[in-house]
Amino acid sequence: MAREQSSEAAAVQPLLEQFQQLFFISKIVGILPQDLDKFRSRNVLEKSRNGMIYMLVTLVVYVLLYNVLIYSFGEEDRTLKASQSTLTFVIGLFLTYIGLIMMGTDQLTALRNQGRIGELYERIRHVDERLYQEKCVLDNSTIGRRIRIMLGMTIIFELSILLATYIKLVDYTQWMSVLWLVSAIPTFINTLDKIWFAVSLYALKERFEAINATLEELVATHEKFKLWLRGDQEAAAAPPLDSSQPPQYDSNLEYLYKELGGLDMGSIGKGSSMSGSGKNKVAPVAHSMNSFGEPIDPSDKAGNRNPMASNMVHESELGNAAKVEEKLNNLCQVHDEICEIGKAMNELWSYPILSLMAYGFLIFTAQLYFLYCATQFQSIPSLFRSAKNPLITVIALSYTSGKCVYLIYLSWKTSLASKRTGISLHKCGVVADDNLLYEIVNHLSLKLLNHSVDFSACGFFTLDMETLYGVSGGITSYLIILIQFNLAAQQAKEAIQTFSSLNDTAGLVGAATDMYNSSSTLHDLVTTTMLTPTG
Amino acid sequence: MIKIMNWFSMVIGLIPINRQEVDSNVILDYAMMFIVPIIYVTCYLSINWMHFIGVCFLDSCNSVCKLSNNLFMHLGAFLYLTITLMSLYRRKDFFLQFDERLNAIDAVIQKCRRVAEMDKVKVTAVKHSVAYHFTWLFLFCVFSFALYYDVRALYMTFGQFAFVPFMVSSFPYLAGSIIQGEFIYHVSVISQRFEQINALFEKINQEARHRHAPLTVFDIESEGKKERKTITPVTAMDGRTTGTFGNEHKLAGEMKRQLGQQKNDEDDVDSSNDEDEDDFDYDNVTIAENTGTTSEANLPDLFKLHDKILSLSVITNGEFGPQCVPYMAACFVVSIFGIFLETKVNFIVSGKSRLLDYVTYLYVIWSFTTMVVAYIVLRLCCNANNHSKQSAMIVHEIMQKKPAFMLSNDLFYNKMKSFTLQFLHWEGYFQFNGIGLFALDYTFIFSTVSAATSYLIVLLQFDMTAILRNEGLIS
Repeated sequence: MAREQSSEAAAVQPLLEQFQQLFFISKIVGILPQDLDKFRSRNVLEKSRNGMIYMLVTLVVYVLLYNVLIYSFGEEDRTLKASQSTLTFVIGLFLTYIGLIMMGTDQLTALRNQGRIGELYERIRHVDERLYQEKCVLDNSTIGRRIRIMLGMTIIFELSILLATYIKLVDYTQWMSVLWLVSAIPTFINTLDKIWFAVSLYALKERFEAINATLEELVATHEKFKLWLRGDQEAAAAPPLDSSQPPQYDSNLEYLYKELGGLDMGSIGKGSSMSGSGKNKVAPVAHSMNSFGEPIDPSDKAGNRNPMASNMVHESELGNAAKVEEKLNNLCQVHDEICEIGKAMNELWSYPILSLMAYGFLIFTAQLYFLYCATQFQSIPSLFRSAKNPLITVIALSYTSGKCVYLIYLSWKTSLASKRTGISLHKCGVVADDNLLYEIVNHLSLKLLNHSVDFSACGFFTLDMETLYGVSGGITSYLIILIQFNLAAQQAKEAIQTFSSLNDTAGLVGAATDMYNSSSTLHDLVTTTMLTPTG
Repeated sequence: MIKIMNWFSMVIGLIPINRQEVDSNVILDYAMMFIVPIIYVTCYLSINWMHFIGVCFLDSCNSVCKLSNNLFMHLGAFLYLTITLMSLYRRKDFFLQFDERLNAIDAVIQKCRRVAEMDKVKVTAVKHSVAYHFTWLFLFCVFSFALYYDVRALYMTFGQFAFVPFMVSSFPYLAGSIIQGEFIYHVSVISQRFEQINALFEKINQEARHRHAPLTVFDIESEGKKERKTITPVTAMDGRTTGTFGNEHKLAGEMKRQLGQQKNDEDDVDSSNDEDEDDFDYDNVTIAENTGTTSEANLPDLFKLHDKILSLSVITNGEFGPQCVPYMAACFVVSIFGIFLETKVNFIVSGKSRLLDYVTYLYVIWSFTTMVVAYIVLRLCCNANNHSKQSAMIVHEIMQKKPAFMLSNDLFYNKMKSFTLQFLHWEGYFQFNGIGLFALDYTFIFSTVSAATSYLIVLLQFDMTAILRNEGLIS
């Protein structure tokens, strides 16, 4: 038994094995406080005091650097403050620290969770082992590839935004301009943290899908089995059994007996012992023999074990329910466990996700608004200088929105995959069409109905596509309102300027007719500007 | 009408030619799907890069006209390119799969109808109601008017080159609408199948009502008879269907086998011959007592069918849902700007500039057309959803009536319970939607209308008089 356990453990690769590079990078940048050596040697995440101290130091350094950045680039803002509209200035002021807040949330949450994240992956490993016992093996190598792709894309995006902005829009003759590199730190750290979440979520989704696939496979094999039985009944009246059987069913049946039939090598003896008791069914030799996974020679096929074989099918059908019940029960328990893991994971990352969504929403709106301002040749806050170039804006926006949308999409898909399990379970019941099995299925299905996993950001909103629809609507309407206010402010400013210049000219010329004309146009302008905001 | 639509969409390269044949010439199939987009892209690029001929580059086109025309053109390009790419990505596989599954479903439905003795009733699906024809006629008129208007105006402006601006102005919206038409067709097919299933369920329901009383009497009587009669009701019914319809032999045999297993009947389960002989005795009894037909043997098949149709709709939605999103977005934008231009520009300065009028009316016409199509899509999706929900309702009703076949046999009770539970799972899992962004039912209308109102309130505050004055349209 112990040997069996160990072999199982060896067969199931821990998920964290795929996280090597990601963990290394996150450790260096200071996202995770866990112990690096232990992770390398044993693939576990364990608390470590040194890591914690290192992480706190990095956090403080980042905050200091960022403040220096804001201060040094704020010089430009101060000179611009008088000329630009207050709206732009206030928005810029609000959004200055949001990147920093996001980064702080990530790091502090990681500190808080440092013990629990390890537990989470341990639980996933247990789930993998149980799934392995139910004969569905998961391939974790795709996850490793996914991590590498995501890392690559993050670095490409960050670098392209940073370099393009630095080269095109920052005055790099001054040494202070090097500080601009700091501006990329919050987003980079945030993205690395989100890669952890996204990949773990993806792993959960794969597990749900593996359960679904197992259930569907049960259905498929049983359907083939039924087809075979039926074909058999038709063929029963007609001649010699062995030759009439199409060979391609053999492999299917082999599955069937492993999965549904519940007859293994041990029960063959039982079956053969009961073979004398003569409830004749019409199952042929060749199949039932192959179905036990026995390597029979094709020459041996035309065997003389007709009575025994005919019993086998009967036996398998009776043995069905108990065996299948165990399997379904196990699968449902695993499903439950995965749902619980999903909830735990969602809870661990709830604050970072909330801050990411807030960040995404605000930055998306602000970047578009500043892009509009830049096209109107108005000055914009210096931290958002990437909005001056449409191409960089597009890259930055697709980076931010890609992060948010991918997380939302993945949570939606995971939630759907967990819901799909109930349907697949019922398919099993319908295809087997057995009273006992129906009872089991009904019972388990109620359990599944209550155990659905829904991801949310701190419970403020669920992470599904409908939220995305709502958010995109919100962004558009806010943008329109902002642009309207901007227009109104510009018109007011122009009106004031013309008013003062008109006063000048009026004072210079002093002609009564001119006065009359100009005051009428002034009246026009004032009325239009007064009317615009109120509509 | 559907044939005309299919034929038309083949011609403008939205679905492959010979879409229902597995082996056919690949080049021939996809030729149109490549030629038409290439023509479109050439027209689009020639207008935008080479300033060849386009409404927005004419001298008589003022700034409002230019802006709105640009918006119309680029929105159309977005719509058409996304839709075409998705159609190309879909290729023939979907149509083949759809047909295959539909044929399987139809075969089972036919079988069930035979069991339920419904094939004597005329197939009503072929006959469409007045509303159906009226809708088609209405759609046809709307589209022909929109196209006629656009072509006439463009021809008056550009002469024989009118084809190029037409490709970028109206054509994308036409193509989008036709793809939605395909969606409508597929959804309507699905919803029709749901209706047929519901009819079959309803039949069982009615039978349960009629047969409730007599069968209890029958049960009581039969208790006094032999031990074997515990399995009488269902077996007898099955036997009778076997007698009446020879081709149902298999199904009945299956039923019997299950029953046999449950009752731990030691008799030979599969030798249905002698049982058939027995059955005729009970058969006479049943007929004497009760003349209602029996079709609850259909139930397992119907449950499977329901499941299959739902999976079919999942596939259909997966194919057409993503194409819905750009279409709905385009419809929304065009409608809002249509209303905006109509109220803020056209009311004030209509008749001053022919091109401006043309553009504003184009907006209005296409917003109306796309809205009609979108409404039909939503309506049909909602219908299909309701039909599928109704099946569960009817099954519940049957369970409430406690018909004899349910009381006598746990299997049926469990089956029905399982079905309703499964439907609950389905309800959580699937609804017609556009990649999850919004559900395609009437709630979507509500949300868009409310969103449109708030946008309009904001948009209508734009002061256009200064711009119009600059253009010399008002003094």
